[in-house]
Amino acid sequence: MLALSRKKNESLIINNNVEITILEIKGEQVKIGITAPKDVSIYRKEVYVQIQDANKAAVDTDGMAALKKMLEH
Amino acid sequence: MTITTKVFGEISIDDERIINFPGGIIGFPDLTQFAMLHDEEDDVASIHWLQSIQEPAFAMPVIDPLIVMENYNPEVEDELLKPLGDIKPEELLVLVTLTVPQDLTKMTVNLKGPIIINAGNRTACQTIIDGEEYKVKFPIYDILQARKAGE
Repeated sequence: MLALSRKKNESLIINNNVEITILEIKGEQVKIGITAPKDVSIYRKEVYVQIQDANKAAVDTDGMAALKKMLEH
Repeated sequence: MTITTKVFGEISIDDERIINFPGGIIGFPDLTQFAMLHDEEDDVASIHWLQSIQEPAFAMPVIDPLIVMENYNPEVEDELLKPLGDIKPEELLVLVTLTVPQDLTKMTVNLKGPIIINAGNRTACQTIIDGEEYKVKFPIYDILQARKAGE
């Protein structure tokens, strides 16, 4: 991983079209501004991981036979 | 073409039935081609399978979210749908994945990460809905039981 130090109001440019700016530093929390093309999806990682896990869980369909039975009658 | 599927073994499908996910699905960027499969003899609550073409073991059951939430209407920014091309409203298809564990009472759908398909050009994506309104693990056992009782 590339690690760069930045101060408040300093930025990074990624790939010519994404700009990340440190807007505010307050104790343990950092507010980050991101300017990117609108088709670039940006997610909080913990939410992304939740959806990824849900996709994995959906593939393990242990109860599908039981579900079919439940809905049949 | 012939594909190997998780649920239906080896089957033959028309190339025109392949759905392209240019960005893959969330957490699986390499899975860019899927087919929607349905067992016609075993029609249960409109469950379809989103089967990966590239990875035979990867298939997710999907359903129409309106089956479990009548007023499901997530807000998706137009820009996020741009990669899907021009979408006619009647060709917009929204599906949610279904998780079916052994204990059916723990069955859920993912309302926060819907699959959005442009049926016109068979291009699709999975997106994440902002906010707290829609849950990743929305329980549906009681809802399906109630629907069944009402039939």
